[in-house]
Amino acid sequence: MKRQRIFAFVKIQLQSLIKVPTALFIVLLLPVALILIFGFAFGSIYVEDYGWTGQSGYLFEFMVPGFIAISGLFMAIPVALSFSEDREQGLLKRINTTPTSAAEFMGSHVISNMIMAIIQVAIIFILTFLMGGMKLITLEGIILSFVIMVIFSLSTIGFGLITATISKSAKAAGGIVWIFLLPQQLLAANLYPLPPETQIVTMFMPLHYASDALTLLFYGVDLSNLRIWWDLMILVIFSLVLIVAGILLFKKYGRA
Amino acid sequence: MSKSENMKRASKGLIFGSDNPYAIEVKNLRKIYKGRKVIEEVKAVDGISFFINKGEIFGLLGPNGAGKTTTINILCGLLNQTEGDAFVGGYNIKKDLSKIKELIGVCPQQASVYQYLNAKENIKLFGNLHLVKKDIINERMEKFLELLGLAKASNRAAKKYSGGMLRQLNLIVALISDPPILFLDEPTVGMDARVRRTTWEFINSLKNTNKTVLLTTHYIEEAEALCDRVAIIDFGKLVALGPPKELIEKHNAKDLEGVFLKITGRRIMEGI
Repeated sequence: MKRQRIFAFVKIQLQSLIKVPTALFIVLLLPVALILIFGFAFGSIYVEDYGWTGQSGYLFEFMVPGFIAISGLFMAIPVALSFSEDREQGLLKRINTTPTSAAEFMGSHVISNMIMAIIQVAIIFILTFLMGGMKLITLEGIILSFVIMVIFSLSTIGFGLITATISKSAKAAGGIVWIFLLPQQLLAANLYPLPPETQIVTMFMPLHYASDALTLLFYGVDLSNLRIWWDLMILVIFSLVLIVAGILLFKKYGRA
Repeated sequence: MSKSENMKRASKGLIFGSDNPYAIEVKNLRKIYKGRKVIEEVKAVDGISFFINKGEIFGLLGPNGAGKTTTINILCGLLNQTEGDAFVGGYNIKKDLSKIKELIGVCPQQASVYQYLNAKENIKLFGNLHLVKKDIINERMEKFLELLGLAKASNRAAKKYSGGMLRQLNLIVALISDPPILFLDEPTVGMDARVRRTTWEFINSLKNTNKTVLLTTHYIEEAEALCDRVAIIDFGKLVALGPPKELIEKHNAKDLEGVFLKITGRRIMEGI
């Protein structure tokens, strides 16, 4: 693994965030818009005895964990699109003719996307705080939420890589990625109550664990609550499995 | 190449392997794409053999689908051959691909550069992938941009380039690591006559740097102007091999196009 190659790739990936409007919109503007719209829409609705903790507060405060978790999902889109576009333009083939190893290539993309995820989560957290969506959570809870979101982003990068592998074009990738994202958004974001039967399905969705842990933390539940750590552990396993599967599949079938 | 330069290259791994006297050697190379039924089997490359001397500009001519790009893709490690052997820089393409990748520069048929990056950013990226030092990248980059007339547009995003400019950038990217072996797959296709002429002069100047060039092209005049020797392939088979003048004389033809017409009964540009 040569640092010069990894830095070069990380640099151009981060440049793409600034220079490619689609990436900027999906990674930063869309989540920001989501928080702003729902913040203003539900920020003044006061609810009593809400959810399983029976707490009272503004509706936006209870929805925020789900929105933050959903924002992490968006990372899959630029990953899937950028790899598919690079393949369409023959860039993956060209890179394959240089001495760059698959580990350097994939590793640098995971690093750059993790940096993007950290920037994304930081902006969303700051915005949520400013919109008054962080009244119940403790400082330790905020730090742990941040870690959970970054780990969760890793799993969505894995989804992005799998999408790029099975998609023949960037256009196809833009559609296929929603097969992974939409069910998670609808069923696992904890935005609204769902019948218990859906739990069997959501057990296989990383977003379920991210949003569950975030919900607990944003409701001000103590960090000693084992459910948070259980969620985190499953999330780590999910992320590792998805990222390794994504890398292996992409390495074998996605580079040509 | 001087002895000291050779030593420098050797320390970076940029030196030919084994005692193979040729820069590239291809032995009975075959690539068959197998379909689901036997009838769908396509022989893209059908048992071709040739060698390319060190420092030679070698042209691979043939109509679309003749097997030119497939041959280059096999030699670069992008495709596995079905049968046969090939050596690049003395290294076997099956066993020593990582060493081969340090020796080669590839200018693909499709202008493959990052569209949102400008010329300099693209060139620097590929220089870094070959672990070229920053100051050397800058020095070479400025020289090549100037030589090909891209200097003024070098800070403009590649997506705003014309087809010809993209092709030139494509070529510079292949050269930034100063590779001893170059694969140029139709490097001038889509260029206007003036830009093509500039690019020919540039490719021709590579002879002074003792680079070995494998060039594929549809343009007969390009092959005649640049190549020391040419191989003509058709339907994956090698049908003629030699210096352009020799081939023209041997087949009593007006030009290489005439040679191809005499051998295969059709024109190289047919079907383009």
